[in-house]
Amino acid sequence: MNSATVPNDVKKKVLLAPIDPVHDVGLKMIRRALEQRGHQAILLAPDLPVEEIIREIARHQPDFVFLSRTLGYGVAEILARIIDLADAAGLREKTRFAVGGMAIRPQLAAELGFDRGFGPKTTVEEAVAYVEGRAPTTQDSATNRTKSDLTGGYSYQIKHPVIAQLLAELVRKTAQWAAARTSPGVERAQLRQEMFRLLRKARGWPDQQAGTKVPFGFIPVWGEYPEDKWVKAELVELRRRYTGLTEGAIRSFYEQGLLPAKTRPLTPEELEALNRLAAKNRGESRGLGRGQKPLVFIQYGTGCPFMDIAHIKLAEACGADGVIHFDPSWGARAEGLLEGYLSHEEDGSILTPENLAQIRAALNQGTLWQVRAHRGLNTAETVVLAGELGADLTKINIAYGSLGGGTDPDRLVVDGYYAMKLAASYGLPYDVVTNEELAGVPAHKALAGLLVSAALGISLGGRPILQPLFAYSPEVMIGGQMEDNYVDFNAAKVLALREIIAAPIWPGAPVGFLTQSEDRVQSAVATTLHAMLAASLEVEAVTIASSDEAYSGGPISAAARVDTLRGVREGFRFFGQARIQPTPRAQEWADELVREITEVLEKANQAGTFRDALYQGIFGSQEDGAYPGRAGRGTIRLVG
Amino acid sequence: MSGSEIKKKILDALDVETFFVCENEEEARQLALGLMAEMGFAKADIVFLEMEGPGARVRVRTYVHRPGDRYGWLE
Repeated sequence: MNSATVPNDVKKKVLLAPIDPVHDVGLKMIRRALEQRGHQAILLAPDLPVEEIIREIARHQPDFVFLSRTLGYGVAEILARIIDLADAAGLREKTRFAVGGMAIRPQLAAELGFDRGFGPKTTVEEAVAYVEGRAPTTQDSATNRTKSDLTGGYSYQIKHPVIAQLLAELVRKTAQWAAARTSPGVERAQLRQEMFRLLRKARGWPDQQAGTKVPFGFIPVWGEYPEDKWVKAELVELRRRYTGLTEGAIRSFYEQGLLPAKTRPLTPEELEALNRLAAKNRGESRGLGRGQKPLVFIQYGTGCPFMDIAHIKLAEACGADGVIHFDPSWGARAEGLLEGYLSHEEDGSILTPENLAQIRAALNQGTLWQVRAHRGLNTAETVVLAGELGADLTKINIAYGSLGGGTDPDRLVVDGYYAMKLAASYGLPYDVVTNEELAGVPAHKALAGLLVSAALGISLGGRPILQPLFAYSPEVMIGGQMEDNYVDFNAAKVLALREIIAAPIWPGAPVGFLTQSEDRVQSAVATTLHAMLAASLEVEAVTIASSDEAYSGGPISAAARVDTLRGVREGFRFFGQARIQPTPRAQEWADELVREITEVLEKANQAGTFRDALYQGIFGSQEDGAYPGRAGRGTIRLVG
Repeated sequence: MSGSEIKKKILDALDVETFFVCENEEEARQLALGLMAEMGFAKADIVFLEMEGPGARVRVRTYVHRPGDRYGWLE
């Protein structure tokens, strides 16, 4: 609450009277706040007779009277008597009467003739705001909520000299190799960009440049604007060339109009209803009460853009700072993206320009939106969609995609490299996550892979965000690093990364992975505590799960999202500026990680390029549980 | 508002969470699914079940609207 003193012409005299035997804590808190703001506050003793309260009001002639009542018995009778006596004494002409407390409901107060009633959850700020005749503000008020830049203020300097040299050499060799090659994924991305350029030109949208996004609203992306007729022939040709670069179910879609199994188009009526829903719920989010980092992200991807938007609006209302698009896992193995407003019956919402535009249109102004390019054959084109449709962030994941996501390393190095160039051109930061840890790859190898990706991105003018896992990974299940607590080893990852590079850190994905169960209380508590660890480590952002994280019997429920967001809110309230303190073991592990990361990077350099090292298992071997992917194998070629 | 009208307003899932006095997990499972059936939900799934002391803490779920359905709350 703002405790600055108000101007003299706003200062009021407030008389506070607890009409309980002893319960006056609430009024004492309000008195303190009023006095801090420069108002005059007179607190009567508890449990005075009604007649004496009226005499005191007549004596002091306050601008406001605040009564409080905690006990429920006889509340209506007592309050009615006070109002009657105040009316009879002519006190209502000058003084406004408000009542609050555990026994009070605003409706009762209105029925009894009070000027204002405050229910049990009323804050001190709301009471003060009433006196001052303004709307209440809160620490997390979103009235002027602007989006944060997670990468702001970071130099990206690699502080560890040996690692700096190793990364520079690896990046040089990898960039030289990747720049000389292309793939169907890269070419589709180029065609998709051309399509967007044509539509912008036809519709009079601004030229795409960093920071200038497609205007959001209900925008059919393809072929439905009258102006599109001027570029229809060119669009048809681009789509023909695009189709030639697709395969399987995606090609069937473009050639024959067939949709993949368990996919259906949304009807015009559904789209209209969706827009009504989004418009009705568009507003400002309240944040989670912290007013500072970390920003809290949730993942969505029910399969249906409708359901997604309903979940997103709920998450925003519960305080989420950002939302992350989760697409179907088969999307990573498909050559090409679909188009249209499409619903999908299984996990993951299909990446189409229309679906993304629809979701973007529904977001609150201050909500950060991540569209993950991630780990598959459409990495580069997804960055185009993210950039063109107004995403704030993307995700580019070469190591995980190659070793645990099923994509051929050659293909993903080429596509990932191009995606990083695209991300830089769109001004899109992206995170690089170490999901391969979940397959069994030890943290030091995964973090080494992360650093190579990050360094490659930095060399291309990008702004990567490091995303270590806070997870009960196979490595720690076997090695016992989390036998005592979940704090030290997770903290060690952050400490190690900070020793190496000045870059933003955003633990995921989500935090607490594999610590949650189907017990929603346990799940929410586990998530909350991991988020509090992230806050204690002062990272930029954190991704949290719902309390349905461990439930595999159906889609994530809306209520499950509330569980963890509410838990994290309480966690922020509990800790405030206080911190979880790791034991000295965390620093020992951090030092060990730095040494081991250095060794991995030395081996990687000896192997040749990033792709050589990936194939040779240096960033995760078969023994670890990592296997070079096969999707896209043999599809890269030399440029020109 | 009738029961079917009320169900339309459920965004996605209905969870019932309670503690059954019972002998074992199987009995708890039957009780939970039976309760949902009595409430008119033939298809339900046990999300969580744990025997504690005199019985079992249970959460049972039915989906009223799944992603991709025609949503009653949009009408």
